[in-house]
Amino acid sequence: MKLLKRVLLLALIVLLGWIWLERENLWAFPDIISAYTAKEYCSCRYVMNNDAEYCRGYVKQWLPTSRFSDDSASKTITVSGMGRSNRAQWLSERQGCRLNPQVNR
Amino acid sequence: MRKSLSLFLLLISFTVQAEQWPGEQWPTGAKISGAAVEALETYAFPPRDDTTRQGIRTDALLIIRDSQLIYERYAGPTRAETPHLTWSISKSLMATVLGVAYGEDLFKLDDPVSKFYPALEKHPAITVADLLHWASGLDWQEDYEYAPLKSSVVAMLYTRGHRDMPAFTANHDAYAPPGQTFRYSSGDSNLLAAALKNMVGPQRYPDYPWTALFEPLGIRHAVWETDAGGTFVASSYAYLTARDLARVGLLMARDGRWHDRQLLPKDWVAFNRTAFAGYKVHQDEAVPGGQWWLNRPADGAAAPWPDAPPDTFAALGHWGQALYVIPSEKLVIVRYADDRDGNYRHNELLKRVLKAVQP
Repeated sequence: MKLLKRVLLLALIVLLGWIWLERENLWAFPDIISAYTAKEYCSCRYVMNNDAEYCRGYVKQWLPTSRFSDDSASKTITVSGMGRSNRAQWLSERQGCRLNPQVNR
Repeated sequence: MRKSLSLFLLLISFTVQAEQWPGEQWPTGAKISGAAVEALETYAFPPRDDTTRQGIRTDALLIIRDSQLIYERYAGPTRAETPHLTWSISKSLMATVLGVAYGEDLFKLDDPVSKFYPALEKHPAITVADLLHWASGLDWQEDYEYAPLKSSVVAMLYTRGHRDMPAFTANHDAYAPPGQTFRYSSGDSNLLAAALKNMVGPQRYPDYPWTALFEPLGIRHAVWETDAGGTFVASSYAYLTARDLARVGLLMARDGRWHDRQLLPKDWVAFNRTAFAGYKVHQDEAVPGGQWWLNRPADGAAAPWPDAPPDTFAALGHWGQALYVIPSEKLVIVRYADDRDGNYRHNELLKRVLKAVQP
């Protein structure tokens, strides 16, 4: 029993160490799904000029997004997922779309 | 009478032999058809399922032979006028833009990159040639989908790096001395885009891909997205129609010459097409040259695409994007796709194209 406790404690220390080493990556990780969806949908829709329904399928990932809005007047896409929100906007004929996150923290 | 007839015939044969170039449109040649074309289409265009996204999903296939359009087909939402995402074909396009700057004598291959991009002074030995070879020695992780936590490229495009992609890259530690070992890196390509800014100057930079490359080639609808600092996302985000991408292929097939103008110096194209000596067998799906992929035997292994001629080279991108150039066959092939699994094989497509274009 004592041995098991020690092993668990050691595992916890290793885990905390790993979290500390990877803190930047772990903190950034939840942004990936909404940032990816916003940026690649924007380019699919407003650079490649594909239709909206196709672009929704095109950016679909195994992780779900919780909120999605496409304001066609300003060509701005806002997506939420995993507790984070990201935005992408079409800028110009040559520059296409850019990711411009407004992270809710 | 006989004299004028022979003169007429001479003129005709002269016209026939004259080199063709695309104007506003590609000249069209006799369309290829027959069983070999059907076999090509069976491979490239199987029934498409946009729900499961499984299998080979070609969006566009275009074949140019000796500057004539002989085959063109689109699928899914892609049309002739769609500027399709090229993903990592962008890297070869940036190399081509750099080639024009090289022709202006704005840099040398062995120049240290920090000369043009001071943020790289932590790694002062990295040269332009090293970046072109994906041999910066920076400890970069390219995995897209399978290691999202550790992926440098996902962090660069979508999270920690997206505002300033070259600075994000420059902050990586070194794992090897520069110029020694190959490690495919989207970061290396974006450092080239950052270096170009000071090579051509910040005034010319925002329009440079258009003035240097796209406009001379008659490319009217190119999109190239930038990061928040205005640096072109050379790793990933250029968009061209299939017909326009083929123009870049023709430029490369003809050793950097467009009509009478040597747009890219010949030694630049030769560098693009020379295998990087530090490449080890099976490190990647083809042999790296200078931001282009080669069908050359390397490191004791056979050429990666055995059914294609050894002078075949290509620009390749995520999800099956490809621009193949085969100078010996006067062929330029553009393939756009949305392949979400690993079923597609370059060699198989090239094999079937080569059969289909046989007279």
